[in-house]
Amino acid sequence: MKQFAEWLATTLPSLFIQNHNRWLIPAIQSIHIVGIGVVLGSAFLIELRILGLAGMDQTLRDTASRFDPWLKAALWLMLATGLLLVIGEPVRELVTLSFWLKMSLVALATLIAAAFRFHVRKHEKQWEETLVHRRSIKGLAVLTLLIWACIIILGRLIAYDHVWGSWSPASKH
Amino acid sequence: MILTGMINLSAFLESLETSGLATKIRDSLVLFPLLESAHVFGLALVFGTIAVIDLRLLGIASTQRSFQRMASEILRWTWAAFALTALTGALMFTTNARVYYHNAFFRTKMLLLLLAGINMLAFELTAGRTVQIWNKAPSAPRAGKAAAALSLALWIAIIFMGRIIGFTTTRAAPSTPPPAGINFDDFLQGAPNGTANPLPRNK
Repeated sequence: MKQFAEWLATTLPSLFIQNHNRWLIPAIQSIHIVGIGVVLGSAFLIELRILGLAGMDQTLRDTASRFDPWLKAALWLMLATGLLLVIGEPVRELVTLSFWLKMSLVALATLIAAAFRFHVRKHEKQWEETLVHRRSIKGLAVLTLLIWACIIILGRLIAYDHVWGSWSPASKH
Repeated sequence: MILTGMINLSAFLESLETSGLATKIRDSLVLFPLLESAHVFGLALVFGTIAVIDLRLLGIASTQRSFQRMASEILRWTWAAFALTALTGALMFTTNARVYYHNAFFRTKMLLLLLAGINMLAFELTAGRTVQIWNKAPSAPRAGKAAAALSLALWIAIIFMGRIIGFTTTRAAPSTPPPAGINFDDFLQGAPNGTANPLPRNK
């Protein structure tokens, strides 16, 4: 991975970002943060609806559909800006424990969101009448929000991978 | 008079930096990164929830829903998240107060935060007064739309200013080498591994 990261750092797009990193990197990071704001806001409001704390004048399906396009668009935006950040600073991103932990959680959270969306559409009646009242579902909603919180924390910890001590691949050289 | 004020401010900033809490944060390997992570979590929630309200005002999203109902359900969380963001921001500020205070991007960020507050007030005094009339309309009157668009622009600019502060300041170095045994894996392995304190950066 380190060799790949070092090779990536010598490619043209990477050199372009590196040469403009005074503005480009913080600008891309800011768009990335705007994206996570939209993701977190959408996930948060869907979860408030599941917990019965907001939007009770609307069905669960309508609430999920309302945020769906924003959640999806923001996730694509984050993938695009995230890729640019990796291309711009490959070693800093790829040779960290935080980055790979974060990617695992992103995969998990995206999977949960997709499964939820699919299941709510297919079993709408069941969700509105019974599932949404279940404790386990409410617990899962809180857990999903915690996963997003961990994703944000790990995202920031990429810059501070030393907090993992010898667990960080960056400490190996 | 002005000079006395400046000396007092400088002394105040220095006293923030030398306070026990600021020293504790500086000397720890994990506290500053965790404060910064909590800051980003808080601001993501602030921005995300404000965007939901602003897009409703602009008539872009949630157009079928009552504005008042949305505002009362959502904005309390916005304020809670803002409190977390302000608190963690203030704690980070104390660790290197004089450097941040003189940083142009930090100052711009504070000015933009003030403008966002004034914008909110302007909204309350204009479109906010007639909310009963347009509460269920798909979008707010022109003044409300203008405030919503300005709010989105201001918050995006605030995020950018905040991010670039990390690129234009250097983090304060710990006053003493960090004590052994505070790395994460020390908790797990029970033995300090003696790795040197890496160069501080907060990019």
